[in-house]
Amino acid sequence: MHWLKQTYDWFERRLQLEGPIKETVLHPVPKNTASWWYVFGSASFVLLMLQIATGILLAIVYVPSAGEAWNSLQVLNQQLPLGWFLRAMHGWGSNFMVAVVLIHMAQVFLFGAYKFPRELTWILGVFLLLMTLGMAFTGQVMRFDQDAYWGLGIGASIVARVPFVGGALVNLLLGGPIIAGPTLTRFFALHVFVIPGLMLAFAGLHIWMVIVLGINDWPMPGRIVRRSTYVQEYKELTHKEGIPFVPGAVWKDMMFSAAILFAVALCATLLGPFGPTGVPDPTIIQTVPKPDFFFLWIYTILSFLPENLETPFILIAPIVGIGFLLALPLFAGEGEKSWRRRPIAVLSITVLAVGFAVCQNLGTYTPWSPEMQAWSGDTVPVRYVHTATPLGRQGQIVFQEKQCRNCHMLGGVGGQRGPELDGVATRLTYDQLVHQVLQGGGNMPAYGKNLSPPQVTALVSFLETLHPEGQRPAQDASQRYISSSGELDPPHSASQ
Amino acid sequence: MMARLRSSSLLLVSCIASCITMLGCGPLPGHPKPGPEVPRPDSVLDFATLYRQNCSACHGAGGMNGPSYPLANPKYQALVDEQFLHRVVANGEPGTLMPAFAISAGGSLTDEQVDALVHGMRAAWYKPGTLDGANPPPFRAAQAGNRMGDPAHGQQVYATYCSGCHGAAGQAGKSKAGSITEPAFLALVSDQTLRTVIIAGRPDIGQPDWRNVLPGHPMSDQEVTDVVAWLSSQRAGASEATQKQPDGQKKGGGGLP
Repeated sequence: MHWLKQTYDWFERRLQLEGPIKETVLHPVPKNTASWWYVFGSASFVLLMLQIATGILLAIVYVPSAGEAWNSLQVLNQQLPLGWFLRAMHGWGSNFMVAVVLIHMAQVFLFGAYKFPRELTWILGVFLLLMTLGMAFTGQVMRFDQDAYWGLGIGASIVARVPFVGGALVNLLLGGPIIAGPTLTRFFALHVFVIPGLMLAFAGLHIWMVIVLGINDWPMPGRIVRRSTYVQEYKELTHKEGIPFVPGAVWKDMMFSAAILFAVALCATLLGPFGPTGVPDPTIIQTVPKPDFFFLWIYTILSFLPENLETPFILIAPIVGIGFLLALPLFAGEGEKSWRRRPIAVLSITVLAVGFAVCQNLGTYTPWSPEMQAWSGDTVPVRYVHTATPLGRQGQIVFQEKQCRNCHMLGGVGGQRGPELDGVATRLTYDQLVHQVLQGGGNMPAYGKNLSPPQVTALVSFLETLHPEGQRPAQDASQRYISSSGELDPPHSASQ
Repeated sequence: MMARLRSSSLLLVSCIASCITMLGCGPLPGHPKPGPEVPRPDSVLDFATLYRQNCSACHGAGGMNGPSYPLANPKYQALVDEQFLHRVVANGEPGTLMPAFAISAGGSLTDEQVDALVHGMRAAWYKPGTLDGANPPPFRAAQAGNRMGDPAHGQQVYATYCSGCHGAAGQAGKSKAGSITEPAFLALVSDQTLRTVIIAGRPDIGQPDWRNVLPGHPMSDQEVTDVVAWLSSQRAGASEATQKQPDGQKKGGGGLP
């Protein structure tokens, strides 16, 4: 063992790292910060390391060319032993990283950790969040499948809306006016060199500041942050009830990071890699491109925005949002830290979390989007076929062939763009059904010109049977006052 | 604390051990299936997939119980041949809502895919010998000697064979199987469809074949041709079909009970 000590001493005499490292690992932290609430930052960093390690391994096989990228992913998925697992780890790692970074941010916000003297730590953190999302987007492009292709198209059209320089920005982003060979190499450089390099530098500074400024003390209601006194108070706190970071607090970080890595591996094992979906060929129109998980909320918002609000929202909302996050510690750098006395902070996080969850959910099910294959693939419920008249059955064929099914569900299957039609006869009378089919209305196009009169008759003859058993169909009240001869009866005689 | 640590590390070890065991036993659940996750749409040649995506909406899952003709009816398959099916799938059927599926006719399927569909249908649903010795009327009216039917005789045939379930011609109100003399219905089906249903029946919804409409009295080729000719003659005036009568005065059986 003597030679080991000698080697160590040889390096130590030159590097002189023992002192600073010892000081760092043994620096005192307030006892109550050794909490399970303080583990998300370290977990984010561990996930970044995982992404770098798996990313390097992927880069050995991946071919960043528009013609070969998709095929090289097939090689990884199908031919290389555990190549699929590597892709799955990288893909799930990125999902977990976005999630853990967001949780870390919410926790820091709720614990008031962005206040003096940690403003810059927060600001760098905001940039780290943006870079994490940038990695997620460029990573989605690396997959170079149909989702990536159309996702890039959407990204480019968003950029194109910037006034005056939009066209030039698209050229810069795509390496030309269209998605082609230079696009992928450009995004490869961003995903593999530019953003990770910046991220490592920012993350290094971020952690450096956590060490030199000390971890944020556990917020106590009434313990107010003041620029003049905070540093002194913090010093006293760590001296009075501090414990060394190692091993006092670090074991929880390690346990949590290990659990997160295990969760990533479990997801990768059980659920496998993401895609690639179909080849990125714009001539294939039988595709429903969707962004990856972390961008579903934007997809939902953009889908629901009225057209005239799209450009203002796309151009203004990100600037306002990011500007607010960056400025937050500058205008709220002092004061109360505890969430118990910051109702607006708690409310904001709650509203954001609920809004995020709702948008993600809607983005998963895309009720606004027609199911383009429903007309030829989704069967008419057998009970409707069996109970229909011959004319009604022709109506069912009209319903399918004219693609009503793409927007309307029957028996729980079909598009969700329009209302489900299983009970439509309880809502609309025969005449109203005819009117709706011919004239459209309420977001439905008019089909009068696309259907022959017999087709309308058959279709409505089917639709008017769609009411649950035992529930009366909608009726035109005025019919009661028309005598069998077709003349109008006075109401009093009809009511008798 | 130590006990908790020990138990959680025990959990971790057992999880890792189970993972290793899983690795040893066949493909893991996350392992991608062979071939691309989303194949090129024009490269799909599997009959079940093609049928599910293109046909099942109207012809029913498994070729039965859809609003359109049940292709899995072995009697139907015995009457038609591959050329006929190929032509209908590729180019659609005039006079009905059957669309053309071949790319050459404006659809989305390649010739190979149409072939795959036709071969798949024959392999799954054609049973050789189904109609051996049954001597059915010719499937195509043209094959029956290119005769024009006699509508007047056809009306009598309708009264004999059809009215029991479909109601007398022009009869208002409900009949057991619903009216087939409504102009709107007749405007949407071709003579060939009528002939097909009469000869091969629709077992999935209880429509008997030509032999069993009146048990013991199979319909003759002449009778089939004539009743189709008569039904065809009822198509006139289909353009008035959207003129709905007030409730209770609808032509034919308008809805479910």
